[in-house]
Amino acid sequence: MNKVKVTFIVTLGLIIILGCFFITSSAAEPIKIGAVLPKSGNYAEHGEMELIGIYLAVEDFGGEVLGRPIELVEADDENNPDIGSRRARNLIEVEGVKFLMGGVSSSVGLAIGGVCEEKGALYLATNQNSDDFASVGYANKYMFHVAPGMDSLVRGAAEYVAENLGKKWYFITHDYSWGHSGTKWARNMLDQVGAEEIGEIKVPNGTRDFSSYLLTIANSGADVVALTVGGLDLQALYMQMNEFGLFDKMAVWCTLGNYEDSYPLNPEQRGMYIGVEAYWKESPGMIELSNRVKEGYPNAPLSVASANTYQGWLGMTALLKAIEKAGTTDVDAVIKAMEGMVICDNLRLEPTYIRPWDHQFLGVYPFVRDLQVEGVDIFEILFTYDSKDYARSLSENPLDLTAE
Amino acid sequence: MNINIILVLLFNGVLLGLIYAVVSIGFSLVLGIGQVINFAHGLLFAFGAYIFWYISPIIGYWPAFIITPLIVGGMGYLIEKLVITRVYGQDPLFGLLVTLGISLAGTEIIRMIWGKLTKVVSTPGFAAGQVHFANIIYPKYRIALALISLIIILFVWWLMIRSNFGTIVKAGMTDSEMISALGHNLPVLRNRVFIIGSILAGMAGIVAAPLWGIKSEMGTDILMLAFTIALIGGLGSIKGTVIAALVIGIITSLGVLIIPRLVEAVPFILLIAVLFYKPKGLYGELTILGEVTAREK
Repeated sequence: MNKVKVTFIVTLGLIIILGCFFITSSAAEPIKIGAVLPKSGNYAEHGEMELIGIYLAVEDFGGEVLGRPIELVEADDENNPDIGSRRARNLIEVEGVKFLMGGVSSSVGLAIGGVCEEKGALYLATNQNSDDFASVGYANKYMFHVAPGMDSLVRGAAEYVAENLGKKWYFITHDYSWGHSGTKWARNMLDQVGAEEIGEIKVPNGTRDFSSYLLTIANSGADVVALTVGGLDLQALYMQMNEFGLFDKMAVWCTLGNYEDSYPLNPEQRGMYIGVEAYWKESPGMIELSNRVKEGYPNAPLSVASANTYQGWLGMTALLKAIEKAGTTDVDAVIKAMEGMVICDNLRLEPTYIRPWDHQFLGVYPFVRDLQVEGVDIFEILFTYDSKDYARSLSENPLDLTAE
Repeated sequence: MNINIILVLLFNGVLLGLIYAVVSIGFSLVLGIGQVINFAHGLLFAFGAYIFWYISPIIGYWPAFIITPLIVGGMGYLIEKLVITRVYGQDPLFGLLVTLGISLAGTEIIRMIWGKLTKVVSTPGFAAGQVHFANIIYPKYRIALALISLIIILFVWWLMIRSNFGTIVKAGMTDSEMISALGHNLPVLRNRVFIIGSILAGMAGIVAAPLWGIKSEMGTDILMLAFTIALIGGLGSIKGTVIAALVIGIITSLGVLIIPRLVEAVPFILLIAVLFYKPKGLYGELTILGEVTAREK
């Protein structure tokens, strides 16, 4: 009898111990999140600043969600759609990642979005601004567009540009998906704001010498140059515009620019009007984010948080909140949780709203002028606008990505 | 089409061509005479730009313009002594891979020392502002750089074509035994050619820095252009390199009016066309493979 009792107690004890072990090991299994972004090439420093934002958001959640540690798996997309999509596929198939985010180049992001749709993984395009991410033919239910599309960035600024800078517009377009978006929307606004198109030059990604383009534009009679050019190409273009004295002849409207592009310039090389996604001094929350960058990442390319940092932070914050809300890591459930979410504690003065039918994040964005000053406070905010007033409506963009 | 614009684009093309020539000429010399596909040339170009950016505010524009190429020449001396001497006479691919490794490692060192953000060189006072002519605006600095480039090209042409040094070096590459019998030291000659190539890379970095900005990857960006120009012009041919650089400068400048989207591809299309009809380039005597074959004979 005693033997049976002892055997029963020992067996029960073992079952309890093993059960606890399995429960503990299951709880400790990390949630892998893939960060696919440029660590080399035209947008390398943008990617690095973005990655810092992603890490800071993980830090804000104490490094875990649903009681499980968050494991970030980084991959360099090398600013190349083929490489980016290959790395994303590898993360999903080999590493078992179900959630991906990050990136700067729209072409790369759209390629990754295609892989995620095929594999049923959730993808947040954090810093790519082509409106294709939320457009018929490209958008899919597994993809969310954290960054504002060029539709809202350009339409939000066009009226100010026409009224204050001039109505004869010359376009310089980076010759890929994002560049085309910027010029398309500016062109669509011409009639509405009473402006006219003087000409357009499409420049390939990787162009470093713009002298011939600038000579043509300087004699075109335009009073505004509307640029949709990014990365190192944009920096070279800024420098050469100054060199060719273009700022004395016409206003320069950069439909979307980054702090990373303006900060390295000498003060006399600045003077553009720029649509930006965020500015480090715009709110107490952004100043706090900047302080964390400065203190925690002394080797970062910048000593303040850039819009790329913020967008990385926002994307990761939204994802973790959605996982928390869904109470599971099931991709479909997380998508459903994210749709319609309002993020009030978003470090900005106004909340961010995730529109369900096109998976587009909407928020308030500044339009700035970069100043000819030393130091890190180089942008003057001219005005802000709410992207929900300028992003395409359902009738303009008949999509329905809402989860069943 | 406005004739003024066409003329100014033509002028711009010539100036761009002169700058491209300085970038490519050192690469072509080392390739043609030293018989090494030196992918570290781009790294030396980048070091030229960075060192100039770093020291010019401290010691002034012209002293930095003199000292920077000498420092880069010293780096070239070390690279040649420590590494390149081991690849002479080997398959060109071996030299390419070794120098590519040096280039990648050096790029990381640049990032460690100077960070990842773009650096900007201010226009010096003597060339600030623009020239205004017939409703056309052109930066004085580009004109000054083109003149400096022209002086550099003429000096290199004199050194390699007209001076005794150039004659001995060229003879040594085709008949090393004869040169040794005459009492000249071939390894020393090769070392000097590599140093000259490095000095030219450093100068090219200084010339390019204010135009295109300074980035750790700038050497890689420029390398393909230099390689293309060297192949079009013919290995080791100064005349061929300058002509190829001018043709590419002019076509890319004027191409903006006709085919802006294809401008970046023009040098490579031209390369295919030239190599198809003249595998040795415009003024070359051997192809890269021909160099190996000649050496093996």
